[in-house]
Amino acid sequence: MVKRFGDLTAVGGVGFSIEEGETFGLLGPNGAGKTTSISMIAGLLEPDAGEIVVAGTPISPSSVAGKGAIGLVPQDLAIYPDLTATENLSFFGRLYGMMRDELTRRVDEVLEVIGLTDRKDDLTKEFSGGMKRRLNIGIGLLHRPKLLILDEPTVGVDPQSRNSILESVESLSAEGMAVLYTTHYMEEAERLCDRVAIIDEGTIKAEGTRRELVSMVGERDRITITATGDLSRAAQLAGEMQGVFEASQSDRGLDVLADEASTLLPELLSRIAGGGAVITGVDVVEPNLEAVFLHVTGKALRD
Amino acid sequence: MGPATRIAIKDLKLRIRDRSAFILGIFAPLVLAVIFNFVFGGALNAESLDLRFGLVDLDDSEVSQGFSDILIGAESEELLALTEFEDAAGAEAAVEAGDIDAYYLIDSGLGEAVQAGEEFEIQIVGDVDAPTSSQIAASIAKQFGDGVAGVQLSVATSVGLLDGPPPPEVAEWGQEAAAQGPSYVIDDVTTATRQLDATTYFSAGMAVFFLFFTVQFGVIGLLEEQRDGTMARLMAAPIRRTSVITAKALLSAWLGFISLTVLILATYFLLGANWGPPLGVALLVLGGVLSAVAIMGLVASIAVTPEGAGNLGAIIAVVLGMLGGTFFPIGQGEDLLSRLTFLTPHAWFMRGLADISGGAEWTAALPSVAALLVFFLVLGSFAWILLRRRVTA
Repeated sequence: MVKRFGDLTAVGGVGFSIEEGETFGLLGPNGAGKTTSISMIAGLLEPDAGEIVVAGTPISPSSVAGKGAIGLVPQDLAIYPDLTATENLSFFGRLYGMMRDELTRRVDEVLEVIGLTDRKDDLTKEFSGGMKRRLNIGIGLLHRPKLLILDEPTVGVDPQSRNSILESVESLSAEGMAVLYTTHYMEEAERLCDRVAIIDEGTIKAEGTRRELVSMVGERDRITITATGDLSRAAQLAGEMQGVFEASQSDRGLDVLADEASTLLPELLSRIAGGGAVITGVDVVEPNLEAVFLHVTGKALRD
Repeated sequence: MGPATRIAIKDLKLRIRDRSAFILGIFAPLVLAVIFNFVFGGALNAESLDLRFGLVDLDDSEVSQGFSDILIGAESEELLALTEFEDAAGAEAAVEAGDIDAYYLIDSGLGEAVQAGEEFEIQIVGDVDAPTSSQIAASIAKQFGDGVAGVQLSVATSVGLLDGPPPPEVAEWGQEAAAQGPSYVIDDVTTATRQLDATTYFSAGMAVFFLFFTVQFGVIGLLEEQRDGTMARLMAAPIRRTSVITAKALLSAWLGFISLTVLILATYFLLGANWGPPLGVALLVLGGVLSAVAIMGLVASIAVTPEGAGNLGAIIAVVLGMLGGTFFPIGQGEDLLSRLTFLTPHAWFMRGLADISGGAEWTAALPSVAALLVFFLVLGSFAWILLRRRVTA
């Protein structure tokens, strides 16, 4: 996709595909081109070049076809404050062609998923910010879209509501829904997304699983083991393990660099303990997407 | 049910909960109609005006007698009461005593002046506490004077065409013609002649004035959807972009119909307003509502924010309302204001009602309905084109 606004190229050649049941993240700072990209995917903006196909149907602002397969959760709240939660859901459900019985059943299901069953008949203007956000998401997934687009759904949300939203999103891919999730929060992308595209200045700089992205920049998991006893022997045993890149003795124990710390850890600890060392503490630091972002863009994600 | 109707029903529900549309569309015009009718109704309603004029004819010529005959004719039709006085002092005293509102003073020499083609004068002395009556008295005298001046011009033209001196009969003919005066000087203007009674006038005026504020709530909803972010959701849904515009126009029309219907029924039953044949009124309501939707749609298409559209719409509604004669009657003469008034739907709506409220058939409203539909088609087309470009996420 390419999109220009006058002389400004907001999106300069972004392309990717998402499989059913997959959560795909677009990670990038504000102004990177995330919202413009999803506006084109949702059929709100006409791309200057490129093509968007969802479930086999080309998407265009001038065409109704294919839009029923998409659920959009805009970054800004898009609900009617003078309607109840049920009325908001029902209104949009009808626009997507849902019939009475099916609609009633699905509204109840979604209210349950977003945790608003108890408040379903309250006007949404009386809701907290987090409740409004959850309803905002609920409207997007009401009609069981094949592709759900969430545009920074946790911006401005308190930590408790944020966690609730993330849990809701995690359950969506389990239902077979393809999820496109844009965020500038690295932790959200790491937690939710099967694959991540790092986007900056309107182009995708890198794409892959978290592990693929991390390995791309040569970063490894760092395991810090606090231990006493024969630390030299412990370092030797650790270094002989497959998957361990480096093991060295430190003031308090051992420092180990490995590719898959979570996989290696049980055997690693067993070997060290078997070598005579007494382990008193373990700390694992995995390389994160922040480092990847810094590597591929030359700047920090929060810049 | 199509998506446009679904969106319009949702918007109607929101407006009902908001209540402001109905306060502006029903409560405000009804209250103002009652107040205006109470305060100004007597002054506007010609039937309730008690015109008491005096006449002092010191000339006693055929011309002054002609003027006197016109006033006596009006008295015989119970349009005014006339008292003749021997001199100005007697008439003055009657004004002071409040027995008459104004008197005409015709000095001697009027007949001769008319015959000679010279300027002439009829003085009107009025009671300062009865300005309307004095103005009507002046208006009658002016129309008589215009008629006499016309006769003078005709005679002068005829004489100019003859070779040699005019025959003596010419002066006599001129004086006789002048004495006849214009036959249309005073007429009953209260029935079946494009004149609404005060109650109906203020009811209709306030109804159509506030109609433009009421229909705003529909079309401005487009800008509110954009401001509140819900337009993105609507645009992402599997519906046509034009469905959103149609929905807002539908809501505007519904609000307009509800407002006018309730006001017509309320003023008919509560105030005794005489709206005329229901079919004619229904057609005028249809034309009025559609033209209002078109104009306010145009406002929504050029405004940037809902607040801006509201302000611009209010200015346009007030200007058109004033110009269209919803607060005070605009004459139907040849002056600029009288011509400008027909550039407003308000004037056509009021004119249509005036045409049918005096007992005429409903078909008498058709010219006004046609004019209102022209407003709708022309301005509505522009609004539609502009709004289609405007409706984006």
